[in-house]
Amino acid sequence: MPREIALGDALVPGLLLLFVFSLALLWLIDWLAGRFGLYRLVWHPPVFRLALFVCVFGGLALLLF
Amino acid sequence: MSVDATAIVSPPTRTVVVDTLRDEAGVWLFVFKTLLAFYLTGWLAMRFSLAQPSTAMLTVIIVANRQSGMVLAKSFYRAIGTLAGAVAAFVIVGLFPQQRELFLLALSLWIGLCAGGATLYRNFKSYAFVLGGYTAAIIAVPVINHPPAVFDSAVARISEVLLALMVSGAVNDVVLPSRMRDVLRRTARAQFAHFIGFVQGSTGGTIPRDAMENAHLRFVRDAVTLEDLRSSVIFEDAEARARSGHLKLFNQRFMAASTSFQSLHHLINRLQRNGQTASAKAIIELYAPIGAALDAPIEAGAAAAILLPRLVAARKTMAARAPLLRHGLVGPNAVRDFDTGASLLLRFVEELHDYVESAASLQAPRLVLRTPERVNFERGNDFASAGLAVFRTTLTMLVLGMFWIDSAWPMGGSAMLIATIFAGLFATAADPVRATRSILAGYATGMTAGFLCVFFVLTRMDGYGLLVAGTAPFLMVGLMLLMQPSVASYGLGGCMGFAYILAVKNPMVFDPSSFLNDVIAQLIGLSAAAIAFIVVPPAIGSHWLRRRQLERLRRQVTLAAEAPLAGLRQRFESVNHDLFSQIVAQTAPGSADSRALIAWALAVHETGGALIALRQDRLTHRMPEEVDRCIAVAIDALARFYERPDSAGYARTRDAVANAIDRASAEPSARPLLDHLHLIRLALLDGESAIADYMSPTPAAQESTHAS
Repeated sequence: MPREIALGDALVPGLLLLFVFSLALLWLIDWLAGRFGLYRLVWHPPVFRLALFVCVFGGLALLLF
Repeated sequence: MSVDATAIVSPPTRTVVVDTLRDEAGVWLFVFKTLLAFYLTGWLAMRFSLAQPSTAMLTVIIVANRQSGMVLAKSFYRAIGTLAGAVAAFVIVGLFPQQRELFLLALSLWIGLCAGGATLYRNFKSYAFVLGGYTAAIIAVPVINHPPAVFDSAVARISEVLLALMVSGAVNDVVLPSRMRDVLRRTARAQFAHFIGFVQGSTGGTIPRDAMENAHLRFVRDAVTLEDLRSSVIFEDAEARARSGHLKLFNQRFMAASTSFQSLHHLINRLQRNGQTASAKAIIELYAPIGAALDAPIEAGAAAAILLPRLVAARKTMAARAPLLRHGLVGPNAVRDFDTGASLLLRFVEELHDYVESAASLQAPRLVLRTPERVNFERGNDFASAGLAVFRTTLTMLVLGMFWIDSAWPMGGSAMLIATIFAGLFATAADPVRATRSILAGYATGMTAGFLCVFFVLTRMDGYGLLVAGTAPFLMVGLMLLMQPSVASYGLGGCMGFAYILAVKNPMVFDPSSFLNDVIAQLIGLSAAAIAFIVVPPAIGSHWLRRRQLERLRRQVTLAAEAPLAGLRQRFESVNHDLFSQIVAQTAPGSADSRALIAWALAVHETGGALIALRQDRLTHRMPEEVDRCIAVAIDALARFYERPDSAGYARTRDAVANAIDRASAEPSARPLLDHLHLIRLALLDGESAIADYMSPTPAAQESTHAS
């Protein structure tokens, strides 16, 4: 995946797209976790969510660099 | 006894101290979290070398709230509004890059339309509209002399705002969050307990009319509060989001059950007033098993589920008891009254059972994996007041824009921006003139503090740590003020003025003359917004709007009589509740206006509910053309009467309904419809309801004895 992508002739950093993608992914995970009550198994759901997001985004970003 | 006495005397001081401390701790927690988000955003914005870190920091102040869910909800809608505004700015600049008059006209219209749209929504959805309006101005106005820069301007604005939203969202969600989920849970539980308790307490029979009015008020407020809370809590809690549909259903069933419950009690009251004590007694007796079934301790946990089998049993008892009671009545009229009450009662038990069932499924620790039927809480909106907001905002923008062009004032754009922001923000406020005035005062104070801070403190500071140390004390004062309900808008103005005028940049610029020019522009812009609210006063709270809302409320009966039936019950109930709560919020409690409105609301609620039930049964029961036509005439007459109430219309309606009843009672297939018709008729003949004014004295008295 290139580091910069031209969207409608505007150069957009690939990281931004990955960021949006991670947000969507996290939203999906969040929806599933809420649906099945998985957050009950976690001590502090918001911290868990934030940490998960950092992991997902960081992991994906490693694909670029 | 003595032990008790000391126990009563000693806690107060302790509880007072503890309560105060807890309260204060909450306020300080808010201040701390907001400052953390504020400086974190500023630091990140500078690290990313964004054009205006101060915009990002200002955003943090604007979305600051004590409740995490509120911050997240507001952030969500703010993000949507910002993106929409950026697109609009793009389009407007693209259309009129060279003609400043057309450009300003288009921009003013867009902002006005957004302000109008904002009045159509409650909650933060209206905020998204306001944002969409002024973001376009913020992006487009600075580049008016250099249109190609609009893309950069839009990107900068979007990144600043989104950065701020993400940081303050994360900080508020992660650092010692204060959750509204618990408030929601408590509210839902209190609503349930109150309603069950009220139903159980009133099985004894009559409730006086003012108690009914109060109960209705309370039911409506409960329903609307729950809906408002739900729409914010879904942002902070994934589980609440998953249960959102259930919660909506729970609320909808609550409204349905409370409507039937009220109809039932109005009926009993009417029967007793008309001297039909035998049938009233029979209905009350039929009603007793419900009271017994609900007589279980309602506690946390699985309480609602306990009630379900008891309600089923009560329904069986009632079904067995009904023929006996009916048999004991003398005369066709008494039997007919009883039948009406019994069918209403059966409907109520059905709805109560559904309500308790959804409460039980909400309380269950595991979510039942079954998508509940989709229900929506619809709002009753007034498009005329939205039009007024469009007119006012557009006018303000045009006047300021013309002034800007004619005077070639360098800071004209800045004044125009701030006027836009506040003309939009307060279009939905109850008393915008006062709100704008106290914001204006706060703004002036905040900017004075900003002056002191920038030129006497920050000039001696170096580095981000010292910037924080130099500005935090000023901001703390503003944030503390923001938390005091009496001076909240003053505090908000103070914080916003301070954060705006601070204009933190990297490197920092110290320029007293442009600072003062900006201060003047800001104050003029804000004053222009205040003047606009005086010149074109908002419709909210005015006599005119109240009359319109009352008309709208009455037209709900027309809606119940004419709109397509699919989902009509829910639509009717939720719009009714929303309209009613708007009206109640905008009239002084106990005033003549408010009493008249409540009386109308009760009449509309009852008749509309019965009409919908009638129309539903009319679909499922085939009957001769003749009877069907009579019923259609009666429904139409009711709709016309509620649309435009007068004595002639009243007489026409009364006769049409009487005629329909006569025809229907001769026809066995129309039997179930008869109950609804009879209920409508009794409501029409009620001498204590809002429509009593339209009864001509003598015939009404005859009619009422004849009918009963």
